[in-house]
Amino acid sequence: MKKLTALLLTACLAVGLTACSGSSADTESTDSQETEAAEETADAEETASAETTEERTTFTVGFDAEYPPYGYMDENGEYVGFDLDLAQAVCDLRGWELIKTPINWDTKDMELNSGNIDCIWNGFTMNGREGEYTFSVPYVDNRQVIVTAEDSGINTLEDLAGRIVGVQTASAALDVLQSEDYADLTSSFGTLQEFGDYNNAFVELQAGAIDAIAMDIGVAQYQLESRGEGFKMLEEPLNSEQYAIAFKLGNEELKDQVEESLMELVNNGTFQSLAEEYGIEEFICLTPDSDASAEAEDAAAEDTAAEGTEDTAEAAETEE
Amino acid sequence: MSFEMMLVQLAQGMVKSLGIFMWTLVISLPLGLLVAFGRMSKNPVLRTIIKLYISIMRGTPLMLQLLVVFYGPYYLFGLQIGGSYRFIAILIGFGINYAAYFAEIYRSGIESMPLGQYEAARILGYSRGQTFFRIILPQVIKRILPSVTNEVITLVKDTSLAFALVYMEMFTIAKQIAAANTTMMPFVIAGVFYYIFNLLVAVIMEWFEKKLSYYR
Repeated sequence: MKKLTALLLTACLAVGLTACSGSSADTESTDSQETEAAEETADAEETASAETTEERTTFTVGFDAEYPPYGYMDENGEYVGFDLDLAQAVCDLRGWELIKTPINWDTKDMELNSGNIDCIWNGFTMNGREGEYTFSVPYVDNRQVIVTAEDSGINTLEDLAGRIVGVQTASAALDVLQSEDYADLTSSFGTLQEFGDYNNAFVELQAGAIDAIAMDIGVAQYQLESRGEGFKMLEEPLNSEQYAIAFKLGNEELKDQVEESLMELVNNGTFQSLAEEYGIEEFICLTPDSDASAEAEDAAAEDTAAEGTEDTAEAAETEE
Repeated sequence: MSFEMMLVQLAQGMVKSLGIFMWTLVISLPLGLLVAFGRMSKNPVLRTIIKLYISIMRGTPLMLQLLVVFYGPYYLFGLQIGGSYRFIAILIGFGINYAAYFAEIYRSGIESMPLGQYEAARILGYSRGQTFFRIILPQVIKRILPSVTNEVITLVKDTSLAFALVYMEMFTIAKQIAAANTTMMPFVIAGVFYYIFNLLVAVIMEWFEKKLSYYR
């Protein structure tokens, strides 16, 4: 009798095990791309940890796929956006393979710390987060603005008193509204309602469930443009701040490499033309002559000196 | 994005959802039986452990369990998790969660069998294994099929929880298309897809029930 029980248990275990091994096979077949990508990510991590940066072959960018125009799914189901195209251009220069990994914005720290992604490059506000990540030079001047329905009667920040204001969970706008400087304004709101994605927020705004939404100006422009009539943006911004690429705290090496290539893109005009393509040319804050670029070039030059020959840096200098 | 393109994208997501669904069943149905045996074991230590396991699995949200399975290795043990772990984490999360539910369903079926059947089988000279596989289990399967159907249909809908780990199943894709195109259309399409999927599941399970309704 005991033998039979044992047999039964073994059989069940065997089925379970086959199932498990089968599952990984399935991953490979159905998500061959993802698996491949993942394996390469793993490789990339090993490379990074071994500090032999020349061997880095992939660059994994984490982004919120629901954040146009910085990162979103286009007509053909591909992930595009200003930040992603920029990342692609950097990878082209570096000879890395870009892996675009969509993440949930509220678990972005877990993704970055656990090594799933190499950086967060997605309209990421650096102000107030300086101690938590290693940031690149800021590349976009952003403002937090209030979007509301055209007939809401809200025209200034003061008009928001007693109203329901929506803001994305874990967003920079939320940080701003919760900071001490804005305590008076926030406490004048009826409710500060957090939401997960902008689509839901706009539906709530249309339906009258919330009265206004606080968001980044680039996103606001995209939303207003694609949604057409019925919404307006308050002229008075909440604040101004800057976007930068966030790397895991202490990952200076990767930051320097990406920054160096980014500056090259600024100097050869790719950066500006991408910004125009996505309609955010008013907000970019890197110009070939800007101080930031000079700084970064210094850093790049130091890098070059330290690491020996770097073709990309030389190319950048010749183009000047 | 055109309507056709949305359909194509969502259909691709549907394939991923189907993958989660199939593998979860393959893992959790046998595992559930094992857990049910543990739950009914005469060994009090094993029984208590299994009870605790079922209690946790049923008492916490599946989405939370998925997050723990995916991020736990890093936060608890400092392990670096690669991207391929995303799908494996989903299978582990769904597998152990559904095994707990299936275990209780199996138990309800097994314990509903009259003791007289065991006694009769013993007198007729059946061993314990024979009794279970030839007499008890076939009847149990017939009895628990409606409850299993219930659970399987819930599973179809629960696959959408994989969005918490940004696995590219249908719901995640619907959310992304909706955001990029500022429209709610993808959710409507996804809803129709889920409904058709479940209709199929219900039809197949009904066919099974009919097939198994001999001796009635």
